[in-house]
Amino acid sequence: MPPLKSRSLPVLDGSPDSSSRAQASERTWRGPGEYASGRERSPEFEPGVDQPPAGTSRRDLLQLLGASVAFAGLSGCFKPPDDKILPYTRQPEEIVPGNPLHYATSTMLGGYATGLLVTSFEGRPTKIEGNPEHPGSLGSSGVHEQAALLQLYDPQRAAVVQQHGKPRSFRDYLVTMNARVPLLKARGGETLRLLVPPSSSPLIGNLRERILAAYPRARIVTWSAAPLSAQASNDGAVLAFGAPYETRLELSRARVIASLDADLLSSMPGNLQHLRGFAGNRDPKSPMNRLYAVETSLSVTGMSADHRLRLKPSELERFSLALLGRLGKQIPSLARFSPLAGKIVLAKEQARFADALAKDLLRAGKESVVVAGARQTALTQAACQLINATLGSEAVTWSRPVLHDADAGPRALLSLVEEMRAGKVETLLIAAHNPVHGAPFDLAFGAALSRVPVSVYSSPYFDETAERAAWHLPAAHELETWGDGRALDGTVTFQQPLIAPLFGGVSEIELYSSLLGEGDRGAYAQLRDFWRGKGASDAAWERSIADGFVPGTAAAAETPAVRIDEIARAAEQVAAASAPGLGSMGLELNVVPDYKTYDGRFANNAWLQELPDPVTKLTWDNAALISQDTARELGLESGDLVDLGLRGPPVHAPVLIVPGHADGTITVSLGYGRRGAEKTAENVGFDIAPLRHANSPWFDSGLTVAKVERKYPIALTQEHFSMEGRKLAVSASLEQYRSKETQESLEALRTKNDSVHAPVEYPGYRWAMAIDLGRCTGCNACTIACQAENNISVVGKDGVGKSREMHWLRIDRYFTGEDLNNPAVITQPMLCQHCESAPCEYVCPVNATVHSDEGLNEMVYNRCVGTRYCSNNCPYKVRRFNFFNYTGAFTDTEKMVFNPDVTVRARGVMEKCTFCVQRIERVRIKSRVEAREIREGELVTACQQACPAGAIAFGSLNDPKSQVVAWNEDDRHYYVLNELGTRPRVAYLARVTNPNPELA
Amino acid sequence: MIAARPMPSQEIARAARAELEPPPLITGYQDDGTITKSILDFVWKRPSRGWWALFFLGLTGTGILSIAVAVTVARGIGMWGNNVPVGWAFGIVNFVWWIGIGHAGTLISAILLLFQQKWRTSINRFAEAMTLFAVMQAGLYPILHLGRPWFAYYLFPYPSTLKMWPQFKSPLMWDVFAVSTYLLTSLLFWYLGLIPDLASMRDASTGRRRRQIYGIFALGWRGSARHWHHYKIAYLLLAGLATPLVISVHTIVSFDFAVALLPGWHTTVFPPYFVAGAVFSGFAMVITLIVPARKFMKLDHLVTKVHLEAMNKVILVTGLIVFYGYAMEHFVAWYSGNEYEFHQFFFTRPRGPLRYAYFTQMFCNVLVPQIFWFKRARTSIAIMWIASILINVGMWCERFVIVVLSLHQDFLPSSWAVYSPTIVDISIFAGTMGFFGALFLLFLKFIPAVAISEIKELQLEMRHQHANVPYQPSELEAVKP
Repeated sequence: MPPLKSRSLPVLDGSPDSSSRAQASERTWRGPGEYASGRERSPEFEPGVDQPPAGTSRRDLLQLLGASVAFAGLSGCFKPPDDKILPYTRQPEEIVPGNPLHYATSTMLGGYATGLLVTSFEGRPTKIEGNPEHPGSLGSSGVHEQAALLQLYDPQRAAVVQQHGKPRSFRDYLVTMNARVPLLKARGGETLRLLVPPSSSPLIGNLRERILAAYPRARIVTWSAAPLSAQASNDGAVLAFGAPYETRLELSRARVIASLDADLLSSMPGNLQHLRGFAGNRDPKSPMNRLYAVETSLSVTGMSADHRLRLKPSELERFSLALLGRLGKQIPSLARFSPLAGKIVLAKEQARFADALAKDLLRAGKESVVVAGARQTALTQAACQLINATLGSEAVTWSRPVLHDADAGPRALLSLVEEMRAGKVETLLIAAHNPVHGAPFDLAFGAALSRVPVSVYSSPYFDETAERAAWHLPAAHELETWGDGRALDGTVTFQQPLIAPLFGGVSEIELYSSLLGEGDRGAYAQLRDFWRGKGASDAAWERSIADGFVPGTAAAAETPAVRIDEIARAAEQVAAASAPGLGSMGLELNVVPDYKTYDGRFANNAWLQELPDPVTKLTWDNAALISQDTARELGLESGDLVDLGLRGPPVHAPVLIVPGHADGTITVSLGYGRRGAEKTAENVGFDIAPLRHANSPWFDSGLTVAKVERKYPIALTQEHFSMEGRKLAVSASLEQYRSKETQESLEALRTKNDSVHAPVEYPGYRWAMAIDLGRCTGCNACTIACQAENNISVVGKDGVGKSREMHWLRIDRYFTGEDLNNPAVITQPMLCQHCESAPCEYVCPVNATVHSDEGLNEMVYNRCVGTRYCSNNCPYKVRRFNFFNYTGAFTDTEKMVFNPDVTVRARGVMEKCTFCVQRIERVRIKSRVEAREIREGELVTACQQACPAGAIAFGSLNDPKSQVVAWNEDDRHYYVLNELGTRPRVAYLARVTNPNPELA
Repeated sequence: MIAARPMPSQEIARAARAELEPPPLITGYQDDGTITKSILDFVWKRPSRGWWALFFLGLTGTGILSIAVAVTVARGIGMWGNNVPVGWAFGIVNFVWWIGIGHAGTLISAILLLFQQKWRTSINRFAEAMTLFAVMQAGLYPILHLGRPWFAYYLFPYPSTLKMWPQFKSPLMWDVFAVSTYLLTSLLFWYLGLIPDLASMRDASTGRRRRQIYGIFALGWRGSARHWHHYKIAYLLLAGLATPLVISVHTIVSFDFAVALLPGWHTTVFPPYFVAGAVFSGFAMVITLIVPARKFMKLDHLVTKVHLEAMNKVILVTGLIVFYGYAMEHFVAWYSGNEYEFHQFFFTRPRGPLRYAYFTQMFCNVLVPQIFWFKRARTSIAIMWIASILINVGMWCERFVIVVLSLHQDFLPSSWAVYSPTIVDISIFAGTMGFFGALFLLFLKFIPAVAISEIKELQLEMRHQHANVPYQPSELEAVKP
């Protein structure tokens, strides 16, 4: 169309092509005057306005303006990412991006294997679970297994082979070693020593044999700082049976369980099985078991006990003999011990406890078991074995040791150190964990190590020992290497790598192989050859690796004869020598392995450091634990700094008062005060090494305490220990539970309040959880499993000190009862209750927390602006806020730990438990593909999966067959803060204890 | 027997008046010229050294505020002392405190206008400015306390492509509307009242530039009868609009707490008790500011002890309402038999780790205002000034007690924790005081602190009222032609 020349053109411009103009050419007038004047009336609309404008219209201009601004902005905003994303040139079999694979493997702790199933996304392990088929796991896992994942990706792990601080390759090491081998062999390995951790691995056993065959005069010393491999339990077995035996417990068969300082349910090997067996008999509707705990400091087992007696460490042996004496009065075969009951004078409370316990054991007969902790004296161990054998305890089986070296401990280390000092050791291979930090102080292992010309140390971190060793080889993580081991019951278990070593680590197998000139063969070849030698066909091998273990390889149970005379002799010596009054020698020391850092090997694990201690709720520290009365006597309060001294330099430590701790004793834990290259662990807590001596590594007396006039900030996740009389974590004795009063009170705690709102229908799934407090021991496995599954941040000591910890699932621990010295303890996992009428939802101004049609209380992270109103209005205080950008600066390996199914939260947003919505969705996809409903048991939350006690049930309330419905109908179920009308979807089953009426 | 009682009826009337008539609201002889001069003198004069010193202090505070805000936005809300049981602390405490202070302005300008309280005239401009600046400070906090302040606009119902609306059930949402409406209305009201005075300033100013600037802001006011007619209607209408706001703003702020289920927050007495508390603290703040201001600006003939005494009476009355609120909270906590409430009011507050705030609150808000039962205290400059400062401290503590003490020990003892503010928290609070002070000093310097036109009107009204009575009142006998 030709452009109009101008808008102000006269109407009659004579353009012939425009019909509108032709029409306008008809002359119109309004009156004669106008007609006469000859002027045209101005048209209402200018000509051509009904035509599209030519040239640049206003609309075009605006469009162009907008577009140019947008395009100009576009070029400035986005830069293509530097990373290249490439497809696989050859798609690996089974790998579908976004779909995880699960592999069976295992980890070793204390030499025993725990079977695991590891989730891996595109070759990147992201979650560790227990292997349900494996006898050492039964599908659950403990804190150390769960947290092992974080250490895999720890950027502070050693990454270089070093010789005297200079970088070398593993090849350099092999060359050096190969040159040395003939020299060593020439003298029969006289100057060769190996310091190894306890192990049950058949392959390592074979390698040990081959090393000893090649170097007949060499010696292998087994040692570990933690008490599992302590020589005492071995000595006890030798005293009782004349030969080393290992004891296995099947607690589901026991009705009366007595623990003499044995942390059956948490730190003791086999705790996952123990807990499963124990928890199974805590339902008041079936016969309940009864747990007695005799111990110095409160342990997880002690928290779960029906009766607990606190004793000084020095009194425990006498107590065990007194118990034996009391049983002797009733059992003819033990009659010779009956004088002990009279000879050993117990305090009134202790005697009453011993009397009742003895009677109960007798009543239960075969259904009773007495277990001594591994730190206890040989006599205590033997006495317990004797009681079990005499009563014919069905819960106990004995077998030949699964570990290669049952006699492991400070005694063996002592002779090694003497040789090192005397210069008799020229080549020392160390695979044991960090002996410079963990060995008893008086051995001065560090100084002795410096005298060894060729020392080779393999460890994941360049730690205190690495600094003094000639060679340091970075050790491969358990998820990076091949290996094998045996579970506590002897079942052969395999370890397969999920990922190639991230930091070039070397496995223990390769380390030992280097002495045999086979250091370059690799762990897989060694393992495969060894098992091929044992007759494993390719098919069987493949199956074993896929299963993770070989069924039916448990060690055979034996019934060794008890050497009653030997025990009697030893008991008499003790009874004669013992004089009460050790307390006058000052305070006693009690050393325990840490629930989190173990012996320090997990010290660099931020998840574990931030995990509250199950008993004290302490994070990022260890402390000198002390009873209220003793603290008052010494004029101390929690948080005071003290100098602890015991025949050595003083140790600076903060005091922490723990209810239920034995008087006159201070408990400290291993594994802190680390130096070396572990930045996370550096200077966290205090190193208790100067307090430990080779002849008394666990208990000692003569401890001195001097107050330092300074406070030390300690970060507790729970500062208030009393329930203030509120009905939050409900506990009742069996008798109370059966009373009408308790039933009515429980009924009141579950009766739903009337609501003005119309009830919401949930026709599909109705997700809900139920938690049995009777089963929960507070072991923390759920907390750390949740952390691993849900990418939960760590906030550090400062953050915890300011009450900003991020755990979505925490374990509340309350002390109850009048007596601060003998409190009852109850633990309660607390997580988002997914209230049907949620107080957090209506206060959010931006709709960032909303309810799903299946009853989940959901967080919309990208909508959250962070008013924190929801947290204020949450009566359970389970919401967690990102006060800082906790997920900002991560190294490449650290990023790999994240679960790709779960959003990593940014600064300034609220977060909380989602009921593992990502797991629900995965299972939902699967069920939809198969056109069916989600089945019971198919869907488990991370906490539920980890829980060794089976205390957590999860499922749909609309599925009548589900366990969660069964528990929601149980007469113990109730809701926390039910009276608020929040209608929680998490039901708790009240804990019922089974106290002995004689001790009431 | 008229002769036996010689007292003339005029004498009786005069004696009666002396008894009943309050002292005059404006002292001394004033005409339009002296009023204008006395008020505008401070504006025309070069600022004194004292003004500069205070202004510098205010600017320093503003600087500290800027740094603290920058730190908060750059690093995160973790720079504050807040934690998980105590999700709200200094931010919300200060927000409520500043908003409360703002209340006196609207009350004086709107409600007292509707009730035809003449004594409001000398102080309304002052109080309105205070309101405006206080609400500006208050407005900073809700934005700053967000975890992600750059998304604060999510709280507004804007047409989003996500088709997401705010959640109208949340009291925070109501806050957004209440506070923004309040700020807008207060600003309009203040500005409208200012227009005749700006015109006076334009007319009285000497420099060309001043005349231009004041002229622009005077919006072409000529003082014609027509102008005055519209002006009066608009002013009254705005007063009518502002009146419900006095009640609504703090009622809604109190809903932030009352709507929650936290023991110590979940209280039905909150709305009236918050409004009374706001007026209480607002009047205290007016006293705190006006006592030195009237002295330094030489306005004691316009802001007389009559005004101050009237304000002290308001403080006493609202103080008693606040006390009633406290008493009711405690009574209901006991009477309801709710163990969480009981614990909050009888253990956490008086015996908890932060009990000092509670006792300060009780001392300052309950005991201190009782002194105003005495006329000597009500009219003593020193006493009222100290008392007003104490009341402001007490009201801050009240908010601290409500917000922090309720939060730090709630339902589950396992999550109880203690709160302590950080240097950033304190800097922001001190910074807003500095910012407020700086704004206020600028206001005093550039704008008449007392409404000139209204004072003149009052002056005329007073004269008119007295001219109508059948005798010459003594106080006007001195009037010179």
